[in-house]
Amino acid sequence: MKVTENTTYRLMKSNLERITTELLDLRNQGATGLKLNRPSDDPGAVRPVLTTRTQLQQNERYLDTTGHAGDKMAATDGFLAEVENILVRVKEIAINSVNGAMGPSDQANLADEIAGLKDRLLASSNAIIDGKYIFAGFKEKTRPFTENPAYDPALYDATDITTWPYQYNGDHNRTELEITPGEFLEVNLTGNELFMGISNQTAATGSTDPQHGPASADLFSVLTRMEEAVRAGNVDNISGPGGSIQAQMANLDIAADQNRSLRSILGSKAARVDSAALHQQDARIDLEQILSRYQDADMIEVFNDILKQETAFRAALNISSRVSDISILDYF
Amino acid sequence: MAGLFDSLNSARTSLEVNQKSIEIIGNNISNLNTEGYSRQKALLSTYPAMNFGDFFIGQGVKISDVSREHDVFIDRQIKQKSVEFGFQDALNRPLSDLERVFNVSNDNISTDIDTFFDSWQKLSADPGDTVLRNNVILQGQVLAAGFNNTANELNTIKSSIDDSIVSRIESVNMQMQEIAELNDRIYSIEIHGQTANSARDQRDLLAKSLAKSLGAQSYEDSKGMLAVHLPGGLPLVQGTMSMSISANISGSSLNLQLKAGGVTRDIGSHNMGGEFAGLLDIRDNFIPELNSEIDKLAYELSVQINLQHQAGGSLDSTTGNLFFSMPPGYVATEYAGAARQMSVVITDPVKIAAGATPDPGPPPTTVAPGDNRNALTLSNIGDNYLIDGTDSFNSLYAKIVATVGIESSQNQLSLKGAKDALVQLENFRDGLVGVSLEEEMISLIQFQRGFESSAKFLSTVDEMMGTIINLKK
Repeated sequence: MKVTENTTYRLMKSNLERITTELLDLRNQGATGLKLNRPSDDPGAVRPVLTTRTQLQQNERYLDTTGHAGDKMAATDGFLAEVENILVRVKEIAINSVNGAMGPSDQANLADEIAGLKDRLLASSNAIIDGKYIFAGFKEKTRPFTENPAYDPALYDATDITTWPYQYNGDHNRTELEITPGEFLEVNLTGNELFMGISNQTAATGSTDPQHGPASADLFSVLTRMEEAVRAGNVDNISGPGGSIQAQMANLDIAADQNRSLRSILGSKAARVDSAALHQQDARIDLEQILSRYQDADMIEVFNDILKQETAFRAALNISSRVSDISILDYF
Repeated sequence: MAGLFDSLNSARTSLEVNQKSIEIIGNNISNLNTEGYSRQKALLSTYPAMNFGDFFIGQGVKISDVSREHDVFIDRQIKQKSVEFGFQDALNRPLSDLERVFNVSNDNISTDIDTFFDSWQKLSADPGDTVLRNNVILQGQVLAAGFNNTANELNTIKSSIDDSIVSRIESVNMQMQEIAELNDRIYSIEIHGQTANSARDQRDLLAKSLAKSLGAQSYEDSKGMLAVHLPGGLPLVQGTMSMSISANISGSSLNLQLKAGGVTRDIGSHNMGGEFAGLLDIRDNFIPELNSEIDKLAYELSVQINLQHQAGGSLDSTTGNLFFSMPPGYVATEYAGAARQMSVVITDPVKIAAGATPDPGPPPTTVAPGDNRNALTLSNIGDNYLIDGTDSFNSLYAKIVATVGIESSQNQLSLKGAKDALVQLENFRDGLVGVSLEEEMISLIQFQRGFESSAKFLSTVDEMMGTIINLKK
């Protein structure tokens, strides 16, 4: 069987084509750093890569959300600390006022101070973060606590919220955020449970009876009535103005406990948020690693392969050029 | 003296034959690079010997035939391989295009889906914010546009395949006609006893080209004419008559028809081979499959988002608002057309239903700006909902992309294999019937020396004749 010129050239051509195609592929891998540039490069890796990318995006989102939630909780805690301080100060004043040496003008001053503290409490309860009322439940654009125009100190009834000095205009829904896949955490407290001692379930029924247990109190009622009692100097007459300083001091303790327990609930939730954030950061590293394994090219291997291919290319080109050097026509 | 004239004649034949042989060698050399050329050689035979009393003396040499070297087996192998090569080659370009449409970069429908659900998640942290609401609408539009574009691209690829087919039809028809004409010419030449070498070479080349484009098979009948027919048996060239293929365009779809003997028949990828079969196969089977999968994805996505969105309350306390347009086949649960017609129907950010449905009452409640319950549910549909109970949205899309990837990588492998095989076969053919420069040069020397020695013989005979004539002065 003879070897014709065409055979030789055809063989050279197909070999050069093969080598240059492989070289192009390797160079592309080297330049992009990816070994998965088109689906046909590795069809089996397509699904893991797309799924991992989705998870990475979600992970970023969770980090953002936990940051958000953590910030909100920290700010809320600040206000709760303020409430604690107010209650402590009111108790001090109350104890002071029971001192029999106080005259009417001293008591008036103390009562005014309580009124001032009550205003501070009102300001805290209507706190705004980022343009939204934080103690208003879902109704974040509505001022949650306003004065009740129909308030009459003589008609005060602890079992009927329409007789209370301040009314609540927000709603009873705590905001949930998703901090890890499938885990929803309530990140705030509602005005009714914090300041009025009405649980969210009771508020949901819309009844006017707050159903206060032995551990709940309405902070505004306590402060208002304490002010009335101090102003009137009513120390222990329960049916007198303000329902007596003694009774209200007992209520103050209840109120402070209510505040503290809610604050600790919020605190433990904040700790949960922190640990979720840490976990997401760790997960991120793992996900990036998985993604890299499927789609990144091993650069050292790629460069080695490029060197090998380039050598093969040079050899093939060399041979191709030598083919035409030798010809029978030189010898004739 | 009479003997000497015979010798003269003998020498003359020798000179002629050697000259002719050198011409044939010259022809071989000049056609060194002609595609499909088979080496021609002269078949020499002696003149019938004449009786000189007791013995026979040959009368010289003549060229009985100029024949071409030919191997039927290799020819057939090459035609068969060309069919497969044509098929894979035609698939290559459309599959590359499909890989571009269904890619694995950071810019595909999967990323659009992720960003869309992400925008709902962002909204859940601050449901009253108009900017975030507008962002949700925007991401929805990006997603819908992604689906629209994909559906359109699939259509574009289909129509460029149609264009490709149309452009090849004319050359295929011309080739069939040429084969018929060559049949006629070869027949009329060979009836005189000669072989029509270059015409046969040309015909073989055309048959190979038809094998590559149509998967046509050919065989030579008793009269030396090449009969060409499609794999299914439908005739393309019979004797000196050639059929023709035409493209029948109805609406947006293109069908091929074969006009044979007054009957027009529809032909498709099932009774063709080669390039046409490849193009039709991808246009009629593979791409419609991809289309229906994308439609399914768009349908399920639109419907699920819509159902959940309708179950929520917008900022203006209305409920039952659609987010996407319902797919055209919604009532009949048909997927077709969902991807191309997907669009966002909400324009007012207030209408986004981030909150839960308001209580109809009495008294009717309103949706508060901080209500994010529906947004939370919507953002998790991407993770929770399984289409047909098996695939989430992203994994269905990943399946589609992987299908394209598998098909494309298989095609690349097959194409490489077919190409390598074809190269080997062509080289083998060259080894049997090709023109080798070394061979021709050696033959040239051979016939040149033959010519020289004939010339020498002639001059010797001439001298002998001269001697005889000079016997008498």
